[in-house]
Amino acid sequence: MVKDASPESFLPLPTAVFHILIALADRDRHGYSIMQDVAARTDGTVQLSAGTLYSSVRRMLEQGLIEELSKSPDRSSTDERRRYYRLTRFGRRVAAAEVARLNHLVRQARATGLVPEG
Amino acid sequence: MQPVTLYRALLRCYPAAFRDEYGEQMLLAFSDQLNDAPGGARRAAVWTGAARDALAVAPREHWHVFLQDLRYALRTMKARPGFTTVAILSLALGIGANTALFSLWNGVLHATLPGVQRPEELVMLTDPGEAGMWRGRWDGRADGARDWVTYEEFQELRDRAGIFASVMASQSSISTWPARINVDGGGEAPEDVRGRLVSGAYFQVLGANPVAGRVFTADSDRADTTEAVVSHSFWQRRFGGRPDVIGRTLTIRNATLSIVGVMPAGFVGETSGQLPDLWVPLRLQPRVLPGNNYLHDAPPDKAMWLHLFGRLKPGVSFAEAEARANGVLQANLIAFYGAAATGERRAEFLDQRLQITEASRGASYKRAELSGSLTALMVGVGILLLIACANLANLLLARGAARRAELTLRLSLGAGRGRLMRQLVTESLVLAAAGGVAAAAVAAAMHRGLVVMLAEADPAFALSFSFDAPIAVFLVGCTFTAALLFGLLPAWQATATDASSALKEQGRGAIGTRMRGRSGRVLVGVQLALSLPLLVGAGLLARTAYNVQRIDLGVNVDNLLLARVDLRATIDDPARRDAMRQALLERIRQAPGVRSATFSQLGLFSASFSTRNIQVEGYTSQAGRDPETNVDAIGSDYFATLGMRLIQGRDIQDSDTLAAPKVCVVNESFANRYFARRNPIGLRLMVIDSDEQRTPLLVVGVARDARTRSPRGAVEPRIFVSSQQQVPGVASPTFLVRAQSDAPIAAAVRQAIMEVDANAPLMSIRTARERLALLTAQDRAIARLALAFGGVALTLAAIGLYGVLSYGVARRTSEIAVRIALGARPSRVIAMIVRETAGVVAVGVLAGGALAFAASRFIAGSLFGVEPRDPATFTVAAAVLLVVAGVAAYLPARRASKLEPVAALRSE
Repeated sequence: MVKDASPESFLPLPTAVFHILIALADRDRHGYSIMQDVAARTDGTVQLSAGTLYSSVRRMLEQGLIEELSKSPDRSSTDERRRYYRLTRFGRRVAAAEVARLNHLVRQARATGLVPEG
Repeated sequence: MQPVTLYRALLRCYPAAFRDEYGEQMLLAFSDQLNDAPGGARRAAVWTGAARDALAVAPREHWHVFLQDLRYALRTMKARPGFTTVAILSLALGIGANTALFSLWNGVLHATLPGVQRPEELVMLTDPGEAGMWRGRWDGRADGARDWVTYEEFQELRDRAGIFASVMASQSSISTWPARINVDGGGEAPEDVRGRLVSGAYFQVLGANPVAGRVFTADSDRADTTEAVVSHSFWQRRFGGRPDVIGRTLTIRNATLSIVGVMPAGFVGETSGQLPDLWVPLRLQPRVLPGNNYLHDAPPDKAMWLHLFGRLKPGVSFAEAEARANGVLQANLIAFYGAAATGERRAEFLDQRLQITEASRGASYKRAELSGSLTALMVGVGILLLIACANLANLLLARGAARRAELTLRLSLGAGRGRLMRQLVTESLVLAAAGGVAAAAVAAAMHRGLVVMLAEADPAFALSFSFDAPIAVFLVGCTFTAALLFGLLPAWQATATDASSALKEQGRGAIGTRMRGRSGRVLVGVQLALSLPLLVGAGLLARTAYNVQRIDLGVNVDNLLLARVDLRATIDDPARRDAMRQALLERIRQAPGVRSATFSQLGLFSASFSTRNIQVEGYTSQAGRDPETNVDAIGSDYFATLGMRLIQGRDIQDSDTLAAPKVCVVNESFANRYFARRNPIGLRLMVIDSDEQRTPLLVVGVARDARTRSPRGAVEPRIFVSSQQQVPGVASPTFLVRAQSDAPIAAAVRQAIMEVDANAPLMSIRTARERLALLTAQDRAIARLALAFGGVALTLAAIGLYGVLSYGVARRTSEIAVRIALGARPSRVIAMIVRETAGVVAVGVLAGGALAFAASRFIAGSLFGVEPRDPATFTVAAAVLLVVAGVAAYLPARRASKLEPVAALRSE
C-alpha cells in the first residue's frame, strides 16, 4: 500500500483506471458489474475486457485506490464466488484530482477559443 | 469446444500467481459478458477482447512479475556483497574468455574481410590458402589447380576473359624491406617496413576508401608511379597520425615512394589477419625487389606469385567464369611454351588450370594452421566456464540451504513452486547479466592479449576486436546459458524441500541438507571430471612445445648467426657478385669473435627450397621418370660450421672450383634411398637443368640428416653442391657464422659486411636461436594458454571440493563433536571426513580419464613427439588432480579433528 504518496503522483490516470473509479463511486461492485456500468455510461464506446479489468484491479489494489470486500454485500447465493471492490478514501481523492486536471484542461481549451463556451 | 474451456486455455497465458488470484473472477465476468451479448457481432467482439488480452495484457502481467523479481534480486545481491562480487567476477572472466576466443576463432576462420564493401561478391582465381612464389619450369608432378598466377597471366585474364566487372592482382606474400623514411633535414636510419605489391585496381575491387588522400588508379598499371598507400596502424605508429603524412616520401631499395593515401583503421587488405604497413604498385617490383623481374617471364620458366581477386560481371555464373578464365589461360600457355613444348612435355605444360572460389573471407594461409588450435582452445575455455558455473551452483546451493526457512514458509503460505523458482532463476539471470556486461570489457582486453601473443610468431598478424552481431549474440547466449546452468539446479533444490519437516529441523543434519550435500558432491565430481581432460591437454601441449624446442636438428644452433645479403639488388654482373660474395666471406671470417663462417643458398629454417631432376648411377626409378631432389649450393666449411656430422668422406672445400671436377655431398636420406647398401663415395649422379643440360657430380661425402629447412616434418633427400662450381654462383647468400663463445657477434659481422661494401643489401641478420624461436613461438603460446586453462580449472575444482567438504563438516559439527568427546582420535576423524568424498573423487577422476581418452584424438594434429594417449601424461595429470583434491579435502578435515567438543556443542 502506497498510502503516503500524493494523489497528484498518479496523474494522468489511464482510461481504464478512471472508469473503474467512476463505476465504484456510487456503490461497491464486482467485476462484471463494473464492466456493465462502464459500457452503459459510455454508450458502448468503452468496453472493458476481463483481462484489462483485472489487470487494472490488481494495480489499483497495490496502489491503495480500491480495496476488496471480505464478504459480498448482496446476499444472493450466486454471487458467493464473486469478489466485490470498494473505492477507498485515497481512491476518491485521486479521482477528484484527475477530475480537477481534466476540468483545468477544458477551461484552458475554452479560454483560448479552441472550443466554444458552454 | 465449450467457451469456458477455451477461456481457461487462454488464461494459461497469464502468470500463475495472477491466474490463481483472478482467474475465477475473469472466467465469471467473461461468461456473463458472453451470455449477455445481444448478437453474433457482439459475441465476436467479446472473443476478440479475450484474445487481445491474452496478447497484450498477459505479457504486461508477466513483465510486472519480472520487475518484482528483479527488484527482489537486486536487494538480495546488495545484501550479500561478497558472494555477489565473486559471482560477477567469475562470470565476467569465464564469459569474457569465451567471447574473446570466439571472436578470434570467428575472425580468423569465418569473418568476412573487414573494411571491404559487399565482400560476398568477391571471387578468387587462385588458392586462398597459399602464399609465396613458385619459379621455374612447370612439371607434371604438381596436381590440382594453380596456387598463383604470373603478372602476364593476370594482364591477359583482365583484358581478355571478359568475365570481370573489376579485377586486381596482389602479391600473395608480404615483403619486409629496410626503408628510409625521409624527414626534413636528412634521412634517418633505415627501419623495417612490411609491404605488399598490388595492381592499380586493388582498392577499387575491394571497395575500400581512404581516410586521407587517395588510392591507386589504373594509371599505376600503365606507367611507373612512385606512390605508396599506408595502413592506419602504420600512420599512427610512425607518423603520429598527423595529416602531413600525405606527400612524405620513403625510399625502398631503388624507389623513392611518395605517400598518397591512408587507409582506415580495421582495413587489412585482401589477406585476412595480415596487415602490411604499406601498399606499393605492382609495376615497381623490379625496383623494390631488385635483381629479379617477376613481371615478365622468359619461356619456358614462369614466376607465379600473384593472387587474383575480382567481382564478376552481372549474369556471369561461377562455372562460366571458370571456363572462360581457363580458356584464356590455355591460350596463354600455348603461346608461351610455343615450340618448346612438344609431345609428352606439351601435355604436361598445358596441364595447368585455374579454379574459381568465393572470397568473402579473403586469402589466409594461416587459416588451416590455426584452425585446429583455435577450436581446441575454444573447447578448453568452454569447459572452464562449465567448471566456474558448477562452483557458482554450489555456492547458490549453500545459499539456498541458508534460505530454506524463508522459502518453505512462503511455500506453506501458498506460493507456487514455479513462482519461487522463477524468482530464484531471475536472481541468477541478473547475476549473469551483470557478469555478461562486465564480460564485454574482459573480452576486448583478452582478445587483444591473444592477438599480441599470436603476433609473436607472425609480426604482421592483426585482428581487431569489433563487437558486431555474431560476437554480441555469442555473449548473450553464453550469459543466458551460464545463468541456466548455475541457477536451475539450486532453484530446484531450494524449492523442493518438504515444507513441514524443513520447518521443524534446526540445522542439524537432516534429509533436506543431505540432498543438498549429494548435489554438491555430484557437482564437484563433474568439476573433477572436466578438469582432468584440460590437464591432460595442457600436459600434451606443453610436451609438444618442449619437444619442438629440443628437436635434434642435426645442426648446432648455439652461437650461430644468420646474415642474408641479396647481391642481386646492387650488382648485375654475376662475376662481380661472385667476387663480392667471396670478399664478404673472407672479411666475415676475420671478424673478431668469429670461429668459422660459410654460406648457403637456402640458409637455415627458411621456408624456401630448390629442386632438380636427377639420374643416379646404378639406380632405376620405379615411376619411369627422373626423380627429383632438393639441392642447396654451399660455400666451403659448411658442415664444419653448422656442426653437421659427416658420416663419410669430406666437406666442400675451397679447392672445389670451376676448374676442378664437380662434386657434391649427399645427406643420409639421399644415400639410403638412391644408394641403398652401396658406398656412395666415388659414385656419380647427374643433375638435369631446366635447359635439359646434364651435369655429372661425383659424390665425395655423406652427411648426417639435419632439419635445416624446418624443425618439424621429415628430412628429405638432399644434395649439397659447391657454389663455386655453379654458374652463376649463389646470388643471395645467407652467411652462416659460428661464434667463438657466447658473446654476440652480430655487430661485428654487420661491421665486416659494411667494410666490404657500405651499400651491401643486408636483408636480415639474426641468430639461429632467434629464428627457431619465431618458428616455435606459436606452439609455446598455445602450450602456455593450455597450461593456464588447466591451472585455473584445477584451482576452481579444488575450491569447489573444499567448499563442499567444509559444508559437510559444518553440517555434522555436533556429530563430530560428540565423537571427539567420546575419545575418537583426530586421525580417525580426518579419515572419516575424507572417506566421504573419496568416492566422488574416484568417480570424477575415472570419468575425467575416460573423457580425456575419448577426446584426445581431436588434439592429435597439434602434437609433436608425443602420442595423444600418452600414458605418462595421463598418469601425471591424474596424480596432480588427486594431490590437489587431497589437499582440498585435508584442510576442512583437519579443522574438524581440532574441534573443541564442548564449545562446538554449546554453539549448536
